[in-house]
Amino acid sequence: MFATKRLGKELSKMQSGLPNGIELIKADDFKEWLLDIRVVDANPIYQGEVYRIKFMFSPNYPIEAPEVVFVQDESHPIPYHPHIYSNGIICLDLLDRTGWSPVHNVESVCISLQSMLTGNTKKERPPGDENFVRSNTQRPRDINFVFHDPHV
Amino acid sequence: MKVTIKEWNAVAAWRWDMPDDDVCGICRNPYDSTCSKCKFPGDECPLLLGECNHSFHMHCIFSWLRQESAQEKCPMCRQPFKSKSQEAASSPRTQTQTQTQTPINNNARRTPS
Repeated sequence: MFATKRLGKELSKMQSGLPNGIELIKADDFKEWLLDIRVVDANPIYQGEVYRIKFMFSPNYPIEAPEVVFVQDESHPIPYHPHIYSNGIICLDLLDRTGWSPVHNVESVCISLQSMLTGNTKKERPPGDENFVRSNTQRPRDINFVFHDPHV
Repeated sequence: MKVTIKEWNAVAAWRWDMPDDDVCGICRNPYDSTCSKCKFPGDECPLLLGECNHSFHMHCIFSWLRQESAQEKCPMCRQPFKSKSQEAASSPRTQTQTQTQTPINNNARRTPS
C-alpha cells in the first residue's frame, strides 16, 4: 500500500522527464523496475557504455530501502568501480539499511549512482571481488557492508 | 420587507499552515492530503513538525522512526528527530495547526429556523 502509492507518483513524474543519461526501461509493476544510466561527462572509463540497474521494492518502500543492483546482458556490462562487484552488487551507504532515508527515491538513487561513476578514476573492482562473487549467495539487503571510503 | 432565513448551510475550507505546493518527503502526498494509509485528511492524519523544522505526516514519520535503521533521525537532515513541542507528540493538534484549522465537514451546520 505504502509502496504502491509512492511508486505510482514517482513513475508518473519520471515518465514526464528524467535527467540526462537516465532512462526508464521497465516498470510494469511496483516490485521491480529497470533503468539504464550513462555517464554524461567525458570519463574515459565509461565512454560509450550503458548500464542497466534493477530496483526491487518491498511493500514497505520507502520506509525500507530498495534493493539496487547492476545487471549484465549482451549490451549492458557491469561498470568498473572500486565499490561495484562484478556480479552487480553495489556497496554504497545510501542503499544500505544504515544510510537509507525515505526521502530518497528512484531518481535520486540513479543520480547518485551516475555521479559515483562520474567521479571515479580507477578502472578496478573492489578488493576480494573474485572471492566475493564466487561465494556470495546473499541478497544485497542481507550483506553487512563496512563503509570506509568517504571519497565516493 | 422582512426576510426570514429558514435554513442555511455553512461551508468551510481548511488547510494546514504550510507552503502551498509542498509535499511530505516520505509519502510525497501533499501535506493537505493524507499519508498513504489514511482516507481523511485533517485531525485523523495530522502533521508533525520537528525541531529541525522538517515536517511530515505524523503516520509517515512514525513508521520511519519505528525502524531500527532510522536511528531516530530526521529523514531530511539526519539530526535526531524531536517533535517541536512535546505536546504535539502526544496530541496531534499543535498550536499552529489548530489556528488555521476549521471543520472539514462540507455541510457543517444546519441551524433550525
